[in-house]
Amino acid sequence: MAAFRPRRAFRKKRVYHRRKVCRFCADSSLVIDYKDPKALRYFITERGKILPRRISGCCARHQRALTHAIKRARTIALLPYVGTLD
Amino acid sequence: MRRYETFVIIDPDISEEQRAPVVERITDIIAKENGLLAMVDEWGTRKLAYEIKKKPRGYYIRIDFCGTGSVVDEMERFFRIDDRVMKYMTVLLDKEVDLEKIKEDMAKAEAEKEALAAQKAQAAEQSVEAVSETAEIPEESKAEAVEIPEESKTEAVEIPEEGKTEAVEEPKAPEAETDAEAPSSEEGDSETENETESVEPATAETESKKEE
Repeated sequence: MAAFRPRRAFRKKRVYHRRKVCRFCADSSLVIDYKDPKALRYFITERGKILPRRISGCCARHQRALTHAIKRARTIALLPYVGTLD
Repeated sequence: MRRYETFVIIDPDISEEQRAPVVERITDIIAKENGLLAMVDEWGTRKLAYEIKKKPRGYYIRIDFCGTGSVVDEMERFFRIDDRVMKYMTVLLDKEVDLEKIKEDMAKAEAEKEALAAQKAQAAEQSVEAVSETAEIPEESKAEAVEIPEESKTEAVEIPEEGKTEAVEEPKAPEAETDAEAPSSEEGDSETENETESVEPATAETESKKEE
């Protein structure tokens, strides 16, 4: 059993390995703006948590900008601090 | 001089007359502290993401202005004292601003606004004219209808319909644009879903490595 495991994992890794590209780098027309909660909603979970980089696929710079924007949007009640069902 | 942007959330339950003094006071403060008011953008009543002072809605006002820290201090002091203001946030947009440029931009924005208003007025006039024209035509045809009843009646019915459909189609055009935006947002959603799936194998892999 133990001998099989690494091989299975390796195969799975090959299947799903895909280099994600930061969508803000790919499309310069996209602007991160805290005043636009609709756009920011794609980068938070249903519960209102900020998605990590490994899921959102953003580069460090844009993830930082995004986090900043989401936190600003939260302070003026455009986005929730704690998730709401809506 | 620095450029700031302030969001103020005002109690939505108070009347327009009670709300106006807040904006007035803000403009007064900016003028007193030698600031420059660039824009007051009223978003109106919006649903809040969470309740503030037990209220699910709020009246949003965005103020774009230039000034020094003293303007912000004075403004925020006023917001803290005033009961009508539920919440506020000030954001620094630019550390060094060129006042001349901002004034130019303001003038430009105003000119654009006027142009837009003029265009709208023109469009409204045109649609009014179209309606009035269509209104005139049936009258003439009715006069004819006395002489030749059958033919002219069919004409009179057709013409106003065409005129009306044209007048209705013009304002509808911008709605089509907003519709086009919706599918792209759905795409973005599906992408994130795919990405969450792709993460699972990676975590599984790290687990197996730990076991080794």
